[in-house]
Amino acid sequence: MSLLQLEGVSKKFGQVVVGEAITFQLMQGDAVGIVGPNGAGKTSLFGMISGDISPDSGVISFEGENVARLSPAKRARAGIGRTYQVPRPFEHMTVFENALVAAQQGARARGHKSYDIAFGALERTGLGPLANRPAGSLTLLHRKRLELARALSTSPRVLLLDEIAGGLTDLEVNELTTIIRSLRADGIAVLWIEHVVRALLSTVDRLICLASGVVVADGEPKEVLASDAVRFVYLGGKRIDEDAS
Amino acid sequence: MSIALPPVAPRRSLVVRRSTHSPALTLVGALVLVILLTIAPWIVPAQFATTLTNFFILVIMATMWNLLAGYAGMVSIGQQAFVGLGAYATLYFALKGVNPFVTIPLSALVCAILAVPITYLLFRLRGGYFSIATWVVSDTALLIIGTIALLGGGTGRSVPGLQNLSPSETAHFSYLATWFVALIVVTGTYILLRSRMGLVLASIRDNEVAARSAGVNVRAARRTIFIVAAAGCGAAGAVLAISQPFVQPSNEFNLQWAAEMLFVSMIGGLGTIEGPIIGSIIFFALQQTLQQQGVWYLIIVGALAVAIALWLPRGLWGAFRARFHTELLPVGHWVDQLGDDD
Repeated sequence: MSLLQLEGVSKKFGQVVVGEAITFQLMQGDAVGIVGPNGAGKTSLFGMISGDISPDSGVISFEGENVARLSPAKRARAGIGRTYQVPRPFEHMTVFENALVAAQQGARARGHKSYDIAFGALERTGLGPLANRPAGSLTLLHRKRLELARALSTSPRVLLLDEIAGGLTDLEVNELTTIIRSLRADGIAVLWIEHVVRALLSTVDRLICLASGVVVADGEPKEVLASDAVRFVYLGGKRIDEDAS
Repeated sequence: MSIALPPVAPRRSLVVRRSTHSPALTLVGALVLVILLTIAPWIVPAQFATTLTNFFILVIMATMWNLLAGYAGMVSIGQQAFVGLGAYATLYFALKGVNPFVTIPLSALVCAILAVPITYLLFRLRGGYFSIATWVVSDTALLIIGTIALLGGGTGRSVPGLQNLSPSETAHFSYLATWFVALIVVTGTYILLRSRMGLVLASIRDNEVAARSAGVNVRAARRTIFIVAAAGCGAAGAVLAISQPFVQPSNEFNLQWAAEMLFVSMIGGLGTIEGPIIGSIIFFALQQTLQQQGVWYLIIVGALAVAIALWLPRGLWGAFRARFHTELLPVGHWVDQLGDDD
């Protein structure tokens, strides 16, 4: 059985289509990259999976249950963890408390168990030594890691990573991909939006390309990147050639 | 920073402290303060006891308002609804023969119960619309209470059951009642904020969207806080009814209460326990020293509010805490045994 399954998920904001009959599935331990130009509906897709945005129609099944009408909190508790493209730390709380609230609310852990989950997530993401810092004082790299640590603290079965490598140096990207690969090895499914394609290719074994809310390609990464549909989306492809000739 | 992947299971030796300094110090300080404030009416002039009563009424209200706005993100400008309902519940119970001082917890309970259906109305609205709606609720309550002849209608009536006390006894007992309610409210708030609920509220305060995705049931937390704040303000209304000669709709449901709650929370520091208390102290100090200046008093208070909003958006206590990294009433979690911290 698939872990996460989307069937005909559609969403419009006025005239703007951010999702048009999106259909795909994710199995346990899968790592799937999502690419597409700006405004393709990638982040909106995450919003619909995590519950921040409610789709107009379609079914989102998680572990066999339709979660399309559940609140974001319920989905987080069910095992859908997400990070935000622009980090949203709880600025006036410490790094540890950021993870702790996720462990207590998302993973429903209490007392020492919640401390262990939260600190474990910090250690995995390399934030252990910064545990007592106010989250508002963190640099971009550390804020991105905190997004990951907080999502991890909810004990997710699927992680939605939204441009977690954007704006980081090559070295920092390498460190992050190492962490993400290790999470995958633990059986957490990863759905990852990223413009840093090199980072994606080092980690995922499947790529979905989204354009104007439509899945235009879904498959093996190299094939997807080489496909006509994706070339057209990114480069304008043949149409430009035709106009020129 | 190099990445050496740590073992999946964290060390079992993780120690989490809940205080930056020795709790014994806070405890001794708090104990001295509690004793001093309990014997205060017998050692200060009678007139000052009345001022202290009003001070603690404001501390109760501001502490509740800070929970609402500073933590749960609900800017209520209609919190006087529960002050009024609490006052009138006390009047009602006293008319039915209950000792006025016994009515205080009852009135708080009445307000908590009334708050439940009100949340279902108000929580359909957000932001500014929510704020306006709280005011509508308050004025609706005022109008309804004003039609009830038993409660004195629009002109009001005094709380029975206090007539056999001398004026100074009334002042002393109302002070003690108010002070104990304030103590319970502040201590209760402190315990609440140290609990898991405190972490939930702080996360909502800092980033609501992220809180949801971390598994926080924002609506349930808000409902809880709205009900708690209603109960607290109801208790404040009850002691207000006892401490004043007359219970009157236009006084108990006065928008002035919401304005004062807002003002002292803001100058003291929203989103901290200490803020509303410090704000109340400053407000009363200003009131005592400047009230004779008439209109200048209001101008100075207004200018102070604007200045703080512009230059110290986290309030006086917020600014102080940021600079000195200290807390009188710590609610945080500190991880020990980190070795290479900072």
